[in-house]
Amino acid sequence: MQDSDVAVSLTDVRKTYQLGEPVHALDGVSLEIPRGSYTAVMGPSGSGKSTLLNLVGCLDTPTEGTVTVDGRETSDLRETELARIRGEEVGFVFQTFNLMPRLTARENVALPLVFQDVSKDERHERAEAMLERVGLGDRVDHRPNELSGGQRQRVAVARALIADPAILLADEPTGNLDTDTGAKIMALFEELYDEGNTILMVTHERHVAEHAERIVHLLDGEVEAVEELSGAGRPTGAEVGDGSGAGGPGDDGRGDAEEGGERA
Amino acid sequence: MKLGAAFGMAWRAIKGHKLRSTLTTLGIVIGIAAVITFVTLGASLSAAIVGDVGAGEAQTMNVWAGPEDTQGGGGPGFGAQPVFTEHDLDRLRNVEGVESVIPYGQVATTAVGHDGDRVATSGVVATTPAYFDDAEFREGGSFEPGTRQVVLNPAAAEQFEQNATVGSTVTITLANGSTVDAEVAGVLDSSEGQSAFEGFGGSPRIYVSTDPFYSTQVESPSQSETQRVYSLLLVRASDPETVEATQDRVRGYLEDESDAADLAPEDYQFEVQTSEELLEQLQDVLDRLTAFVTGIAVLSLIVGAIGIANIMLVSVTERTREIGIMKAVGAKKRDVLTLFLVEASVIGIIGAVIGTLLGIVGGWAVTTLLDFPLTFPVEWFPIAVVVGVAVGVLSGLYPAWSGARTDPIEALRYE
Ligand SMILES: Nc1ncnc2c1ncn2[C@@H]1O[C@H](COP(=O)(O)OP(=O)(O)OP(=O)(O)O)[C@@H](O)[C@H]1O
Ligand SMILES: [Mg+2]
Repeated sequence: MQDSDVAVSLTDVRKTYQLGEPVHALDGVSLEIPRGSYTAVMGPSGSGKSTLLNLVGCLDTPTEGTVTVDGRETSDLRETELARIRGEEVGFVFQTFNLMPRLTARENVALPLVFQDVSKDERHERAEAMLERVGLGDRVDHRPNELSGGQRQRVAVARALIADPAILLADEPTGNLDTDTGAKIMALFEELYDEGNTILMVTHERHVAEHAERIVHLLDGEVEAVEELSGAGRPTGAEVGDGSGAGGPGDDGRGDAEEGGERA
Repeated sequence: MKLGAAFGMAWRAIKGHKLRSTLTTLGIVIGIAAVITFVTLGASLSAAIVGDVGAGEAQTMNVWAGPEDTQGGGGPGFGAQPVFTEHDLDRLRNVEGVESVIPYGQVATTAVGHDGDRVATSGVVATTPAYFDDAEFREGGSFEPGTRQVVLNPAAAEQFEQNATVGSTVTITLANGSTVDAEVAGVLDSSEGQSAFEGFGGSPRIYVSTDPFYSTQVESPSQSETQRVYSLLLVRASDPETVEATQDRVRGYLEDESDAADLAPEDYQFEVQTSEELLEQLQDVLDRLTAFVTGIAVLSLIVGAIGIANIMLVSVTERTREIGIMKAVGAKKRDVLTLFLVEASVIGIIGAVIGTLLGIVGGWAVTTLLDFPLTFPVEWFPIAVVVGVAVGVLSGLYPAWSGARTDPIEALRYE
């Protein structure tokens, strides 16, 4: 596989925390994420899934080994450069959404562009287009507390994608959502994958992981197994493409409003 | 991050905590309001006095005998005693360089009436027609010496139900209960003080001739006869160029040869000061007052700065998670720093603007209360805003820095 086809690669990565005796959150992980691939990471709690994702997302740096994002090795980069990669090369989706409470959906989605000095008009234009893309075209002026959980996660996904990153990172994106809403987010991920986005997703749940092409199993900071999926469990691209147009915003709006009530 | 975007987000954060932000600005508000009020007061006072002390009055000396230790700092006429006899006045008129000597006395009264309307009045000014040499009259002119005539300032003319005009009669009730009818000879054009002895402002004033109204008398030590005696004199020099020399000669006569020297109490000295000198003294007092108030204001600004720093620290802690989010989506240290610094400066600017507005209102209130015209020291307004920004930036530095170095993973985990 050529380098340009690799979005992210990890070589013998270790992350060690010194708490009295050293904790090896990651203990020699090597992994290549091809461009346009959909990878799930599974493993028991404390196995190092989040640590892995944070390293790829440049929120953290490895104790040993190298992490390469879009052809650039991150360990010897300066803080400013890491910030640039976080803003432009990776998009993060979190279990707890992590939206800015005082900003509207539009402003939340546009936030990464603020730090790239994009003009306000362009920011808002692109943010609105991206919200439209995730089926929230009619919620641009809502603040997070005026949105349901599913809608919030859609806003977070839109924000992760706004700068057209090389890879979309998701740490248990459905962990805080009920099954139905989670399924809708998974459907959105499918669409994004079919559109050519690279996705790396952490999850606890087997049925969520099965949406991916392959599953990396972590155990005690080491890669225990890499499981290639045939794709049988996944709907085909054609089905999803149709579904996005018809069952988009209106559908979700109704469904999510009800969930919002339950969740509150 | 562009400054405009930073302002937008900072403003959002401030608006999110209206009460808290308002309270935070209080220190700055008070500090700046105090300074602006006093600077306004000072500027208005100076303007009023400079306005009152017209160009021609640089050659007018204000003369009185006052307590030694005040060095004239008590203001024009402070502690003045009735020591200048008619004989002294005559001799002073002959001093080289002196053009005229004008007595300024008070006649105690209880009321003044006009056209059936009586107004309580504690005193009228007794002087000579020369007092009005530089004055403008709205109508009529000075009283004639030796007659029962009066000059009114507009405030006095208008204090009666029916305005007093030239030719009408006012009834003066003297302190001893007797009443005197006098004819209005003239009404001045403005109620501004005609000399430093009057003080400022436009309170009602009635001027009468020393003869026959002024009756304070003493036996002249040199003449061995009873004469009128005054506590305040205006001495006009004939040539503004030689005022200083004339001033020395006047003081020389008073100290060495005058009746006044005999009559004045032991620890008294003669004050012979031009209006300009009085103005300088007043400016001195004002400057000292301003320095004092500035001291208080600086304290207040320091308290304000600590308040902002405190609130910004709280704010940074509260928003740890938001900082984590921003860093996760590409915010650099510098962006976070900018954001919080801008927020602190905006609080500073708001404080400065509110403080300036309050200060303007305060200055207006005080000058209105003291009854002299309002002059705004406009050049201080931008200074106030700059100070506000500076205080904001300075007090925001540490909190912003501590926010900027927040570790994104820690921050995202923060509850
Ligand atoms: N800042 C830290 N300091 C010390 N130890 C840490 C730190 N962060 C993570 N760890 C340890 O590293 C290990 C891996 O943590 P990580 O968060 O990656 O687990 P995870 O697989 O995401 O678990 P979960 O499924 O519960 O989210 C854990 O044992 C954890 O205690
Ligand atoms: Mg985790």
